[in-house]
Amino acid sequence: MAYIYKQIKYKFFELLPVLLLFFISLSGNSIVDLKFFSINVHYILVYYWVLRKPQILGYGYIFLSGIISDVIFGFPLGINALSLLIIASVAAYIRVVTVRVTLVNDWISFIPALLFANFIYFFSLYFSNYSIDYLYLFKNSIFTFVFYPILWGIFSMMLNLSKS
Amino acid sequence: MDTNREDIGIAIRSALIDKGTKQKFSLFVLIILSIIFIFIETIETKPFNFFRIFLKDIIYRGSIAVSIPSKSFGNFTDYVKEHVNLYSNYSQLKKENEELKNNISKTDFLELENTQLRKLIEEQIASSSNLVSARVMLDKQSPYLNSFVINIGSNKGIKNGMAALDGKNFIGRIVDVNFFSSRVLLISDLNSKISVLIEPSAYHAILSGHGRNKPTLEYLPEKHTIQNGDKVYTSGQEGIFSPGIPIGEVIIENNFIKVLLFSDLSQITFINIIL
Repeated sequence: MAYIYKQIKYKFFELLPVLLLFFISLSGNSIVDLKFFSINVHYILVYYWVLRKPQILGYGYIFLSGIISDVIFGFPLGINALSLLIIASVAAYIRVVTVRVTLVNDWISFIPALLFANFIYFFSLYFSNYSIDYLYLFKNSIFTFVFYPILWGIFSMMLNLSKS
Repeated sequence: MDTNREDIGIAIRSALIDKGTKQKFSLFVLIILSIIFIFIETIETKPFNFFRIFLKDIIYRGSIAVSIPSKSFGNFTDYVKEHVNLYSNYSQLKKENEELKNNISKTDFLELENTQLRKLIEEQIASSSNLVSARVMLDKQSPYLNSFVINIGSNKGIKNGMAALDGKNFIGRIVDVNFFSSRVLLISDLNSKISVLIEPSAYHAILSGHGRNKPTLEYLPEKHTIQNGDKVYTSGQEGIFSPGIPIGEVIIENNFIKVLLFSDLSQITFINIIL
C-alpha cells in the first residue's frame, strides 16, 4: 500500500511541471502581470526543470506550450516557442558544464538565458513587423531575474517532495 | 586553448543535438522547427492558412476550458463583493439616477447637434442591418498586445480589417480570422494606427495606440486649435471603416493630445462588427 502511495505521489510530482507548463500557457498566465512588476513564469519554469530534471519536462512539450502562448497572445506562431527553446538550450548547456547545484550558480547562469531569449524575441518580432513596449520587456526581464530565487525555492520543494 | 574549444563544442553538441533521456526530439530540431513556423506565418497559402486557423480554433477552445476554474472563482468573488457593497452601490446609483435625470435635456441637445454635424460631414452611418454581434470569448490581455478573441469568424462572414464596435463606439479592428473565432486588435494597442477626424475643427489626424496608456493624436496641423472635449470620429479616409464612428474625446495632458475613449476597453463582453 505504502509502495503504491509512493508511486502515485512520484507520478503526480513528475507530471506537475508539465501540467503547470500547459496550464500557464493555455490560461494566458505565462507572464504574471502585477501592478508594479511582471514576471515571466514560463521562462523560470522551463529553465529550472531543464536544468534540474530534463527527463520530466520534454523539449516537445516546451515547444508546444510556446506555440500555445503565441496563439493566446496573438503573436506569429513560433516566436514564444523559439524563445523558450533558447532558454532550454542555455539550461541544457549549463547542465552539461556544471557539476554542483547551487542557487547562485543557477541564478547567475539565468542571465545569459534571459539575454539570449529576449534577443531572439526582439529579433523575431522586429522581422514580423510587430511593435511591442520594449521598456516593458526590459522591466519584465529584470523582475523575472529578481524573482528567480523564489520560484527556484518552490520548484526545489516540489522536486524534494517527489523524491521523499 | 584547443582543448577548451573542443570542450565547449562537445558541451554544445551534447546540449543541443543529443537527445536526452526520455526526450523524443533534440533541441536543435525543435529550434529549426520554430524558425520554420515563423517563416510559415509570413506565407499566405491555403493549406498553411487552413492549418493555422484549425490550430488557433482548437487552442482557443482549450484555453476557455482551462480558464473555467479561474473564471468561476472570479465570478464568485465578484458576487461576494457585490453583496458586501450592496448598500453603498444603492446610494451611489440613487445619486447617479438623479444626475442622469438632470442630464436628459442636455443629451437631447447634444444628439441634435451630433446629427447636424454628421450631416455636415456627409457620413454614411452604418445601419444596424450590416452589424453582427459577437461575444468576447477570451480576454487574455497579453502584456505586449492589447487584443481579445471573439466567438465568430469566417463562419459569419468576418474578414480582416472590419471595424469592431462597443455599442456604437469604435474600439478596434479584426486582425486575425479563424473558422469560429477572430482576434480584435484594440485601438489602444501599439500596432493600432487609425485615421480620424476631430470635431468641431474638422482636423484629420492619426490615432496611435500606446499599450496601457491612452491613444494619442499624431500628424495634426502645426497650428491646430484642438481643445479638451473635442470629439474624435473615424474619418474613413483609409477606405476600410465607415466615417463618423465615435471613438472618444480629446484630453490634453502634459502637452500630449490624448483621446479618452468612450468605451472602457477592460469592461467589454459583447461587441458589434460592421460587415
